[in-house]
Amino acid sequence: MTQDIAISAKGLGKRYRRGLRSAQHNSIRDAIASAVGGLFRGDRSEQALSTFWALQDVSFDILRGENVGIIGLNGAGKSTLLKILSRITTPTVGYARVTGRLGALLEVGTGFHAELTGRENTFLYGAILGMSRAEVARKFDAIVDFSEIRDFIDTPVKRYSSGMYVRLAFAVAAHLDPDILLLDEVLAVGDFTFQRKCMDFARQLERKGSTILFVSHNMFSIKTMCQRVIYLKGGRVAFDGATDEALRLYESDSRLASTSWFHPPEHPSIVITDFELFDESGAPRAMFDFGERVRVRVRYHAPAPVEAPHFLLSFTRSDEILVCNFSSFSDNVDLPRVDGEGVIELLTPPLKLVSDRYTISVVVRQRGFERVLCAQIGAAMHMRHEIFNANAFGVFHEAGQWRVETTTPPRPALADKIR
Amino acid sequence: MLVPHPDSQTTHTSSIEIRPSKGLFDLELDAVWSYRELLIVLVYRDIQVLYKQAALGIAWAIIQPVFAVIVFSVIFGRFAQMPSDGIPYPVFAFAAVLPWTYFAEAVRRGGTGLVSDSDLVRKVYFPRLIIPLAGVIAPLLDFLIAFVILLGVMIWFGVMPSWRLLAVPPLLAIAALLALAIGLWLGPINVRFRDVKHTLPFMLQVWMYATPIVYPLSIIPAEWRWLYSLNPMVGVIEGFRWAVFGQGNPNLVAVGISLVVIGLLLIGGLMFFKRMEQSFADLI
Repeated sequence: MTQDIAISAKGLGKRYRRGLRSAQHNSIRDAIASAVGGLFRGDRSEQALSTFWALQDVSFDILRGENVGIIGLNGAGKSTLLKILSRITTPTVGYARVTGRLGALLEVGTGFHAELTGRENTFLYGAILGMSRAEVARKFDAIVDFSEIRDFIDTPVKRYSSGMYVRLAFAVAAHLDPDILLLDEVLAVGDFTFQRKCMDFARQLERKGSTILFVSHNMFSIKTMCQRVIYLKGGRVAFDGATDEALRLYESDSRLASTSWFHPPEHPSIVITDFELFDESGAPRAMFDFGERVRVRVRYHAPAPVEAPHFLLSFTRSDEILVCNFSSFSDNVDLPRVDGEGVIELLTPPLKLVSDRYTISVVVRQRGFERVLCAQIGAAMHMRHEIFNANAFGVFHEAGQWRVETTTPPRPALADKIR
Repeated sequence: MLVPHPDSQTTHTSSIEIRPSKGLFDLELDAVWSYRELLIVLVYRDIQVLYKQAALGIAWAIIQPVFAVIVFSVIFGRFAQMPSDGIPYPVFAFAAVLPWTYFAEAVRRGGTGLVSDSDLVRKVYFPRLIIPLAGVIAPLLDFLIAFVILLGVMIWFGVMPSWRLLAVPPLLAIAALLALAIGLWLGPINVRFRDVKHTLPFMLQVWMYATPIVYPLSIIPAEWRWLYSLNPMVGVIEGFRWAVFGQGNPNLVAVGISLVVIGLLLIGGLMFFKRMEQSFADLI
């Protein structure tokens, strides 16, 4: 039965030295300085040497043809896991076996050279991804067609728009034809039509029986692509199983967690402690109908007094599109100085958003916008409309005013007049 | 059942095992061989990129050494009256400047390639040895172009080429291996400490003056030559002059010393490189 296993991981672990990335000594002088400094401050050198496990005791078997999503908050070890499986870095402990031709896309277009033309880069990037020259030559036309930039194929890529660049890079990658594909957030690039093309490509691989391991923050693409999800938490496997169950766990864990771009300070001056959604009348709700008003109640705790903070509530659609913001500043709400516990409530206007899932996050800023005090994920809500769904109808829908003009007599006479 | 992929010759169709550190002597040279297409492509890229958007293009391969020779001829040949073993000084200097220019460029690329290709190291797997290898191979093209010019200059000054030119390829190979060995040591250090980048030009400058390039080996006192010959480039440069001018005998002792020193540096360098390779992606 082992030949049906594409990836088998047993007790994988990766230990990093703390501060390796942020405070690494890039010159010998720094290294000497910190070593000397450490002599006088014993505690600091100890801290510099302390290590942490980015990944610990990770075991799983992925069968041939399975599509598996990897989710987790920032720093949960998702990228480290992909780096180990793609052999970019070695595990500290454990063992993994990968059976089949492996393609790893941790970033689209790694190794593209700005001075080279699209054609030259196609061959370069193909080789970087592990294709032979003959293979790239054979697939060249298909790659160029897929990228939709045939007219610019002999132009240096430094003259490309970022969209064209990504298209070409992805087109090459899409023709790698791997048995096993490792993807790190790379589908979240390009415009909408191109993204759809990428999804089609993933489905096509799926039909061919390829195995796909897919890291994403985008729960929407996880849901459409994967039947199974591995949920990493603090470097360990917190859950491995059905997608819905994994997403439910992830959602409840990420409630009130800091957003991916914000790293909270050790002693935050304000923290969101609770976040609830109600309808206009005050009944708790998570599902809303198109055009309904949403009441958002945010409970906070400020350990120290904060002078006149600004609150910002952002609605983000499941495909990571920020659809609207409500700001206490632009709505001219003057908040007093906050201290200790408190509640702030927003009643939105009728939300005319298309059917989809929306995540609401809270950002609290200091007066004058110098500093973000906290940025947390609040809760998710669903919007329902029988026709307007996110895939085809843009962001919002509202009836417009139309005026219809018809001209008589018809065409021939009109054409004469113009002449 | 495993069905082999039609395009699988160059990549890994069968199982790959991922484990923590490997043994000291497990150099995985077979992996380098299976990635030879990438090596070729990277060399090709380096050559293509070098003279893109330069009005004089590939002519730079000639201009650089020619200018060095002109400067040396004026300062050392004319002003300082440096002896040149009876050969016209410009030809004497050119014959040494060529292999040295190659060597210096190969060391520079071999030592800094990992960092200048850090995107690749961070995001793509391939045997990392490919990078210093490509760094040593790419400047060979410049050498070949300039070598043709050297032949022209020789004939102009009435020095006829002979069968001894057959010694040029092996001597060049020795220079390449030495540059590779140094790249294998400096590359991983450069990943950790970027000081290497700043030290290299200075180090190469000093090394050049410790090698018989602007002066002949004959001005070194005989009793100190053995020490002087520990510099592996001495054998290469002297051998090159012999191959081009046919004066004196090939300094086999110097070449032999070069080979031993290079062999030791290379084996140690390979082991060091492999040992450090695992942490490149984490440190770079």
